[in-house]
Amino acid sequence: MNLLFGLSPFLAVGVGALLLMLAEAFGKPNVAPGVETTDAGAGRAGELALGAAVILVIGAVLSVAVWVAGPESLPELTQVAPHLVIDKFTLFFSFTLCVGGALAALLAGGYLPEHGIDRSEFFPLLLLSTVGAMALSAAGDLLTLFVALETMSLGVYSLIGLRRGSPRAAEAALKYFLLGSFAAAIMLFGLALLYGATGHTDLAGIGAAVRSIGSPGSTVSAGKILISLVLVLVGLAFKVSAVPFHQWTPDAYEGAPTPAATYMAVAVKSAAFAVLLRVLLVGFGDERLASWGAGWPPALAVLAVLSMTVANLVAGRQESVKRMLAYSSIAHAGYALVGVVAAMRSPEAVSAVAFYLLAYTVSTAGAFGALILCGSRGAEAVSYEDLAGVGKRHPAAALAFSLFLFSLAGLPPTAGFFGKLYVFRTAIDSGLYTLAILGLVNSVIGAYYYLRVMVYLYMREPAPGAPRAVTMRSGFVATALVAAAIFVLLLGMAPGFTLDMASGAALTAR
Amino acid sequence: MTPGGYFFGVCAVVAVLGALATISARNPIRGAMGLLATIVGIAGMYVQLSAQFLAAIQLIVYAGAVVVLFVFVIMLLGPDAHGADGGKRPGSWARWIAAPLVSVLLLGGAVLLARVSTPQRFRAAPPGHGTIEAVGGDVFGRALVPFELSTALLIVAAVGAIAIARSRATKPSERPASVGATRRLFGGAIHPRDARTVDDEVAR
Repeated sequence: MNLLFGLSPFLAVGVGALLLMLAEAFGKPNVAPGVETTDAGAGRAGELALGAAVILVIGAVLSVAVWVAGPESLPELTQVAPHLVIDKFTLFFSFTLCVGGALAALLAGGYLPEHGIDRSEFFPLLLLSTVGAMALSAAGDLLTLFVALETMSLGVYSLIGLRRGSPRAAEAALKYFLLGSFAAAIMLFGLALLYGATGHTDLAGIGAAVRSIGSPGSTVSAGKILISLVLVLVGLAFKVSAVPFHQWTPDAYEGAPTPAATYMAVAVKSAAFAVLLRVLLVGFGDERLASWGAGWPPALAVLAVLSMTVANLVAGRQESVKRMLAYSSIAHAGYALVGVVAAMRSPEAVSAVAFYLLAYTVSTAGAFGALILCGSRGAEAVSYEDLAGVGKRHPAAALAFSLFLFSLAGLPPTAGFFGKLYVFRTAIDSGLYTLAILGLVNSVIGAYYYLRVMVYLYMREPAPGAPRAVTMRSGFVATALVAAAIFVLLLGMAPGFTLDMASGAALTAR
Repeated sequence: MTPGGYFFGVCAVVAVLGALATISARNPIRGAMGLLATIVGIAGMYVQLSAQFLAAIQLIVYAGAVVVLFVFVIMLLGPDAHGADGGKRPGSWARWIAAPLVSVLLLGGAVLLARVSTPQRFRAAPPGHGTIEAVGGDVFGRALVPFELSTALLIVAAVGAIAIARSRATKPSERPASVGATRRLFGGAIHPRDARTVDDEVAR
């Protein structure tokens, strides 16, 4: 019983996905008379979105419940270890993933019917992909890690390609699929090498084997460990879309239906960061590998600086808001990587990254949601010009958009401010002054393109005769925006509670 | 060189040549046959690792079913099906440079690896290793969680493939669907419900 309770967040989302598929298959299509359909879910995106959101909220609530009960007080959970490691770190991330997934599902409930993408498969795919993401954040074994990674990725590849008939969506899906499979193959090569070098598939065993390098009688070779570390880092850097493994990101986000892009930006990234932290700290947590002189911290620091700088410079030159948000997500991966580098010295940095990703999840989901709200069928808001004058025509949408952009830019009193503060403070505490200063400078550069959106929202008028975006009306999108706004303000004004939870989520690696 | 070494060498050469043929063949059937060679070569390596069950499954499932499915699809499309470009494209010089570069790098890495590291000594396989019983014990015992998780992987793959492959299912039709079947069969309405719809249609 305790085992079932401990696994309940995963089971709720997984079983919920299957129930939703059944409900979709045996339901009656809700279409106008005279419309022929073979799709039982046609016209029911709203109900399915509600169902998916409820399932994911249940998953989030159960994560909190298991947290409160204390995973350490459930000894049965060791039965599933090391394949699934249910600790506070996992539960924090599964909460974040469920919240991000629920927001994306609600956005899809408004977006898909509005834009005529009447594909009810969206919701089971979203839920199953979330199961993969949650298992990825819990993976303490290479087998689970790879299966979970592929479960998450396959769902996302298909979510992107759902808009049939759009060459841009096909290009986005194909590009992400091919590059993603290539990255997964590189990572699998690294994992196989890791097994060959250490003889272990569980991360704890790998960590112990890595620590034994150099001690008499150890047959573990440092060369193989280093090569496998590089290969695994490449695979995970692709998933978090860090520069220079980011080229697919803008195209994939632009071609994907916006709720799918939201899901990619929040859930895939958070899960990839969770597994990155666990692999580095548990598998490669050896003092020699996790030091500034050698090993992964300098490599990750280079990735972090490149991601922040390149993404911020390119984002400022975009004409499409969706592409700008894609580059913004790359820049945020850079900020979070600063925290990952700091995690080599302080366990507090792990909590900082966890908190940062929660703040990033609600802010980014909100920003994409506000962009969805600003457009409607045939007049989707894509470029900055589309947003001109929305502040006058639809003040609520513009206000919500501004709040989430403030949070992304890291201005108080929003969630993004405390996320950045926490990450950069742990970086400074760990003595990484250069990284922290570069991160601060980049935050200022980033504010430029976030504020540019607001300039268009409030201070520009659409050129006469130019096509203007018409805002849509949807209870689902509005609900998602309100929920995200509550999170953003709550994390920004009263972060203490969540910060405490995040500091409980620190990985006890060494 | 031991007989086992020769066996490994043959399997490795078959697998690598097959892989090269898979990605370089212009004729898709040859590509599929290259894939078949790779699969058979890898199955041979499994046998040498005393994973007989895995080797048999590899031959039955991949060589027997998956490649046959590929060949079916290729034959349905026509064995002469080519890519959209068909010929040389501008910018293809990058391919000529990138592929050998990556190959040389990988080969260099492999040689370096062989020089700097001694192979990890694994324990000798216990008796019964690689049999159906041993694999079943692992799948339903030690590795139950990843096994159960792979069900989610398979479902997501199936649903995703259907979602991508299916074209739009909902399209406006010329006439109401509910009328069609009875009318075609009986030349008219035999049920009040159908009669109503037919009347509606006539009225329209």
